[in-house]
This record gives sequence, C-alpha cells and structure tokens, in this order.
Amino acid sequence: MKDVLYFAPTELTEALKLLAQYGEKATILAGGTDLVPRINYYELKPEVLVYIGNLGLDYIEQSDGKLIIGAATPTAKIAASPLVAEKAAALAEAARLSASPAIRTAGTIGGNLANASPAADLATPLIALGATVVLVSAKGEREVAVEEFFKGPGETVLQPGELIKEVRVPIKKGKSVFLKLGRRKAMTLSVVNVAVYVEMEKGQRCVDARVALGAMAPVPLRCKKAEGVLQGCVLPMSALEGAEFLDKARIEKAAELAIAESSPIDDQRATAWYRRKAGKVLVARALAAAAGVAI
Amino acid sequence: MAEYVGQPVLRYDGIGHVTARTRYVDDIQLPGMLYIKVLTSPVHKGIIRHLDTSAAERMPGVAGVITAKDVPGKNAYGLIPDQPVFTPEHIRYKGERIAAVAAVDEDTAMEALEKIKLDIEEQEPVFDPFKAMEPGAPLVRPEGNVWEFNSGKTRKIRFGDVEKGFAEADVIVEGTYTTATNDHAPMEPQVSVAYIDETDRLAIYTVSQDLYFHLGMLTAIFNLPMNKIRYIGGTVGGGFGSKNDIHCDHVAGLMALKIRKPVKYRLTRREETAYTTKRGPWTFYFKDGVKKDGRIIARYVKTVHDTGGYAGMGPYVVDKNSILVAGPYAIPNVWVDGICVFTNKPPASSMRGFGIINGTAADQLQTARVAEAIGKDPWEVHFINAWREGDLGATQFKVEAAGLIEAMKRAAELAGIELPAHLKAMSSRGR
Amino acid sequence: MKYVLSFNLNGLPVDTLVKATDTLLDVLREKLNVVSPKRGCDNGDCGACTVLVNGEPVRACLTIGLTVAGKNVQTVEGLQQDGKLHPLQRAFHEHYAAQCGFCTPGMLIAAKALLDKNPKPTREQIVEGISGNLCRCGTYVEVVEAIQAVAAGKYKE
Ligand SMILES: Cc1cc2nc3c(=O)[nH]c(=O)nc-3n(C[C@H](O)[C@H](O)[C@H](O)COP(=O)(O)OP(=O)(O)OC[C@H]3O[C@@H](n4cnc5c(N)ncnc54)[C@H](O)[C@@H]3O)c2cc1C
Ligand code: FES
Ligand code: FES
Repeated sequence: MKDVLYFAPTELTEALKLLAQYGEKATILAGGTDLVPRINYYELKPEVLVYIGNLGLDYIEQSDGKLIIGAATPTAKIAASPLVAEKAAALAEAARLSASPAIRTAGTIGGNLANASPAADLATPLIALGATVVLVSAKGEREVAVEEFFKGPGETVLQPGELIKEVRVPIKKGKSVFLKLGRRKAMTLSVVNVAVYVEMEKGQRCVDARVALGAMAPVPLRCKKAEGVLQGCVLPMSALEGAEFLDKARIEKAAELAIAESSPIDDQRATAWYRRKAGKVLVARALAAAAGVAI
Repeated sequence: MAEYVGQPVLRYDGIGHVTARTRYVDDIQLPGMLYIKVLTSPVHKGIIRHLDTSAAERMPGVAGVITAKDVPGKNAYGLIPDQPVFTPEHIRYKGERIAAVAAVDEDTAMEALEKIKLDIEEQEPVFDPFKAMEPGAPLVRPEGNVWEFNSGKTRKIRFGDVEKGFAEADVIVEGTYTTATNDHAPMEPQVSVAYIDETDRLAIYTVSQDLYFHLGMLTAIFNLPMNKIRYIGGTVGGGFGSKNDIHCDHVAGLMALKIRKPVKYRLTRREETAYTTKRGPWTFYFKDGVKKDGRIIARYVKTVHDTGGYAGMGPYVVDKNSILVAGPYAIPNVWVDGICVFTNKPPASSMRGFGIINGTAADQLQTARVAEAIGKDPWEVHFINAWREGDLGATQFKVEAAGLIEAMKRAAELAGIELPAHLKAMSSRGR
Repeated sequence: MKYVLSFNLNGLPVDTLVKATDTLLDVLREKLNVVSPKRGCDNGDCGACTVLVNGEPVRACLTIGLTVAGKNVQTVEGLQQDGKLHPLQRAFHEHYAAQCGFCTPGMLIAAKALLDKNPKPTREQIVEGISGNLCRCGTYVEVVEAIQAVAAGKYKE
C-alpha cells in the first residue's frame, strides 16, 4: 500500500497551498463521517489527506444581514445555536434531525455539502433560504448559490485545490420549515426531506416562496414551478388583493408540481413510488406550516 | 437456594461488561499475529477455470495463501456437510470463499487479494425458489434444486384425511403468506483467532454458540483428532443463530496450521451482512376446511423454504417448521408438505426459532382470515381450536400439561382486552 | 510513512506510530490494546466504538487517528476512579442494562456525554442521547432506566 500523507495545517493559506500543490491527489478531511467509512472499506484510497479541522473555520456569526457559518462548524453546534434557530429555523431543524449525537459532533456543514449526497439534510434548507457557499483556492475566492453547487450524486462545482470556506445565509423576514421522513426516528438518512421558505406580506399575501426537495433527484432540488403558483396568492379571508387564494387546494397544487419536477429512484431506503407519495404530503405540510394555512 | 429463588440476581458477568473487562475474541491480540482476508466470488454462479495465487504469495508482508488444496481433511462442513471451506470449482453464491491470505495487516492482505488471478466462467444464476423448481431451471446443485428428505422431495406430515375434512367443511379458506430474508446482525461480527500452542495443538478462540458441534466439523476439516484442537469459547457478543454456523474458525485454523503463526480472521460488517448465513425466506400456502361454529376440521399447508446455495440448517429448519406449522390446534385432518429449495444465494440457516416463528406468523394470519370468513372474533377461533389436555397433534403426539387457553387469557388481560364470558369459562383441562 | 501521534488517553499521555488512514479505533484497539471501544461496523452505524474526544462523543471508527493529536480521549477504561465504579457503571449493572455486553461501552460513553452536558435529562432527551447506539440484544429500556436512576441521584459518587 502506498504511503498516505497527512497534513493538518493551522492557517487557511497553508491549507490552500497544500491543496494547490497536490491538486487532484489531495482529499480534504473535515469530520470524516462521510469519508472515513469509504476509507475503511477500501472504496476510497486517498493519497494525501488535508485535515481542515484546525483552520478556525468553526464559527457562527451574524454580519451584513447574513448568517455566516464556517465550513468546519459541526452539525451539533448548528443544532444548538440560538442564533441559527432564530434566523434560519429550517436549517436548525435539519441539523437537529440529522444523524445522532456522536455523528453530529464530528460531521460538519461543509462536509455535508461537499459530499453531495442527494439526501444531504442541510442542503435543502440552505437552498430554500437562498444561501451561498464561499469557495476559496490559492487563486482566489468565489461565491456560488447552494442550489447551483451540486452537479450530481457526489459531484459539485468544487475544483481541485478549492475548499468551502463558509456558508452565507441571508436573514429574511419570512418563515422556513424543514420536514424529514426517514426509515426510523433517529440516525437515519432521509427517504425524502423538504425545506420551504414563505414570506407573507402582512401575514396574508405570499410575496416570496421557495421549495426544496431532498432525496428526490440526483441533487437536492429547488422546485421553481411549485414556487410559481404560490407567488402573489392571498389567504382566503384576506382583505388584500391577490391573484388566487392560498388555500388547501393551492398548497396541494404546489406540492403536486414539486413532485412533478422531481425524479426519485428506487433504493434500499424506499421506492420512487413511495417517495412521490410521501414527498407530496411533506411539501404540503411544510408549506401549510410556513404560510399559516390549515390543511 | 432460598437467597436466589424469587428475587432478581445480578449477572455474574455484569461487572465485566460495565468495566469493559469482558474479553471478546476480537479483543485478543497475540504477539506476531497476522491478519486474514478472504477472496470471495464476485459472481453468483460459475466455475473456477483458473486460480493463480503466486503473485500474492510473493508480496512483501504476506505470510501465506491457502485455497481448497490446503484443506488436509474433508473440504466440507455444516449440519449437512455440503459446504466447502474454499470452493475448489463450483460457485453457488456471490461471496463464496475461494482463497485466503494472511499478512502483517489487513491493508496488506487486501492488496494481496488483488494480486490473485482468478478466471471464472460465469453461469446463469437462479434466485427465485419457484423458478428454481421449474424444469430446465439452472442447476444450483448437480443433484437438483430440491432437497431430498428421507420421505422424498417434501417433508410430509399426514394426519387424518384432509379431503374428507374439506368435503365436510362449511367454508374453505385459503391464503398465501411470505416472509423475507433476515440477517442476524449481532453487534459483534464474526471473528476467530488461531495459533499453534506450546503443546503443538491448534488453539482457536471462537465466537461459536455451539462448541462441540463445531469442534466435530473442525476435526473433519483439519483431519485432526479432537485432542489436538483446543477450542476456546467464551463471551459471545450476540449470536441470534448466526454463530450456530462456522464462519471464520475453519479459515483461521487452516491458516494457522499451514503457516504455524497466530492469525486473526474477522469479517467486516459488510462481509457479514452480504455473505454469511441468513434466516431464509419462506412462502406458505394454507387451505383450511372450517365449520361455521369455528372449528377448523382440515388444514393443508404447503411451504417453500429458500435455503440458498448450501443446505446450512435449511432442511432441519423445514423439518421443525413442518412439524409445527399447522399450529397448536386440535385439527383432526392435517396435511403438510415442506419443500426446501436451493438457489444462488448465501446459505440459509438457523435464526431465533429455526423456522418456527415464520410458520407461526403465517398460521396466525391464516387463522385471523378463518375468523373473518365465518364472522367470528379471532380470539374465539383460537380458543375453540386450541390444544387441550390429551389432544393428539398432527405428528401423533399426545398433548400433556396443556396451558394454551390459560396463556391466551393472561395475554388478553395484559393487553387490556375483555374476553366474553364463554371464552373465560374455557380451560385446557378437557373440551 | 508513519506518523507519531501524541494525545492524552484517560488522563495519561501516550505516543504511538500510526498510518494516516488509521482510525482512532485502530489506534486504540490495535496499537494501544485499549479494547473497550468495540468494532461493530467500521461504518459509523452501530455506536459501539463511541469515545469522548475533548469531552464530546465521537465515533472512533470515523475519526482519523491523527486528528486527535494533543486532545483528550476518554474511554470506559478511564471511567473508574480510585478503583470505584462510575455511577453509570453501577446503575447499568444493577439495572441489567448489559446482556451480551458488546454495545455497553459505547452506551456508557453516550450516556456520560449526555449527563455531562445535561445532568437532569428528560426521558425523551435520554432516548435522543443514546439514539446513535444500537443494542441488538434489546436492552434499551434497561439502559434508559439506568440513566434515569443516575440522573435522579440514586448513584452518587
Ligand atoms: C451513521 C451516520 C448517519 C448519518 N446521518 C446523516 C443524516 O441523517 N443526514 C445527513 O445529511 N447526513 C448524515 N450522515 C452523513 C454525514 O455525517 C454528513 O454528511 C456530515 O455533515 C459530513 O461532514 P464531515 O465533516 O464528516 O465530512 P467528511 O467526511 O470529512 O467529508 C465529506 C466530503 O466532503 C469533502 N469536504 C469536507 N469538508 C470540505 C470543505 N470545507 N471544502 C471542500 N470539501 C470538503 C471531503 O473531501 C469529502 O469528500 C450520516 C453519516 C453517518 C456515518
Ligand atoms: S464501529 Fe464505529 S459506529 Fe460501529
Ligand atoms: S447487550 Fe448485546 S448488543 Fe447490547
């Protein structure tokens, strides 16, 4: 077996230099919860491990109307943060429902995104909230919307030499909701998960709606058609002018459109048929909760 | 005695467990111990045309390679000894063992496995037991895909005259039920440590649930008398029937005999899940002749059990199931046909209940369906038909010390179900 | 290529030679003969390998050994103080919370991690705290009761 090299830089610039030097040979190691099983089972034979846990990328801050979360922030810290709970409820809930305590203390938000599992729990709330990731390399920095970050299962726009530095979540007025269906209550990957963001003008007219689905397509999916039918709708009892009523029927229509946009598969966790059925119910419930509509 | 009876007794091994001083086999490390990895078949069915281990043997860090040629005794084991330790030629399931490497660590052993040249002529497998029974199906076994019991291709239970029972019945109720493959998934994976001890005996630390049974098989494989094997059992980290079969001791023992160094062979969770024995899947067909008053007067059951590529404990499991599948009822006419079929899957074997609980699950569903067909409560059907003192079971045994009705009354009580007075008045002491 | 890994194990410094891909579980079990963390799956699923790193519960099988350099690692071997059982150990024993015992070290560590942060957890919080630890023998009810007993102060040190 070839010797595997290990580096644990303490400065970001140092890390970026190593990543530039080793290029495709380098594997970034954060919490290891996705990576290490693959090493243990010889599916992945790394050549150079660059550990990013000592770079100081473990932070949750508020600045410039945004929540800034360092890429190496553990899921447990996100789940426990009052700031995240207040400013990005769906993200806090997704973190709380992901894995189990000992996985959450190690697993990081950057790893969850970079691993690019279609079922990654933190991806859907970030898409629904309109978050971006900041990618850095020795050459510079760029900011990419989370919904444009994923290319396919295990594939992202990350280039060799590049790492996720942080996640930026715009703080908005509306309400976000995350719902997850797994095979059991804890320590389970999503059979399907849903995150929605809804902003209601005066609590009555929908001025912004975003819907994201997880484990329903090769990548975490934003469902724009579903969002479209909610835009401008008003609650049935509202005095405000609106295109259509935002009622049970409308929410079910949106849920139907979201599912129509998805392309789930059969796997060990569920069949595509079941995912569509359950996904539709979840989207409707999440939208109803976010918009304050009884269904 | 008085200090123990009627009160809880703390576990003698409890302190060991909570202090982690309990030693499991994987906790054992011997000086100079080598690690084994096994090359398994990548295909479900085929014939080995060529096997060349020389490059692996030459690799630095490798202490030895063994194949079917290195089995000094019988290359077969099992309750029905039909499974080779290493298959010499025919592959009957994906994951079947072909060769083993011992090396300084598992990484090196894995790398050595990649250097083994293996040429397999792949053949068409069959996975569905019903397809396997069809004429012209791919043969899992040269003798045919259906296990031969002493009574032929079915395990037969015959009691009374079912046809007569059906003719006299008010209603006929049929049903087909299936149960799936299960893995035992004990928390402790399969593992074995073997070495040649100071008295030149082969010593094996085992996770066996069945030491003497396995020792017999191992003597045949190693061609050693029992007194040349020290078979050391101890704490088992859960078995649930999976440790009723040998999974590692034969390989570790053969390797230790060949290279005369301590070795450890442990399965990863994935290897264990994919390749070891399972609770095999079942299909049950029931046909009952029922009287409107609730009596089942004839029961026909046909079962098909999928035992995979080797017998494992499949035929034994079918035997037990056949004896009990008609249920604990005084049914005067019973006909059971139990069929055990080979397919290209890992062998089925024992798991918690040896086929009995699968039969019970099917019987309970069928009996509920009987109740539905005659418009009665399932409790009523169970009570009316339950074995009572002196009844004759389908295998002609006389029921003694019957207590089923009393047990059902207690179960109802615990479940908070109020039984009607006429059921409460029933007893196992006579009809 | 081997690296020297130095860390604190149950309060004492250790140095050992490791490969970059060795997990903390490999380091503890195979190199240091500290066998309380069990290898149940090497996949993060079972929880039998749970240990504390700087007081936080982690899966030893998912932790690259070198990442604990300079940190404090605690295992069940370090639970006993001055030869006395830890309250959780006594409670587990007296509540029959170990059957085959293979999941027990991981359960104890998960329970300790929970109580260190939250000494008076609700039943729901206890269940959540051990939700990553599988017990095939099914001792969950007893484990929860044992943790409840410790939380209720029935096993003072
Ligand atoms: C038992 C178990 C249960 C789980 N349950 C869930 C669950 O319920 N929901 C869920 O979503 N996930 C779950 N996971 C998956 C995993 O825990 C999460 O995806 C976790 O957030 C991954 O983060 P990590 O830091 O451990 O990533 P690592 O394993 O360290 O890395 C994962 C991948 O991302 C890359 N990477 C890491 N950080 C960066 C970065 N900053 N920049 C660029 N690339 C990077 C790595 O190179 C690697 O390819 C589970 C895992 C296990 C083992
Ligand atoms: S061995 Fe680490 S979780 Fe199972
Ligand atoms: S006690 Fe056996 S696995 Fe928990």
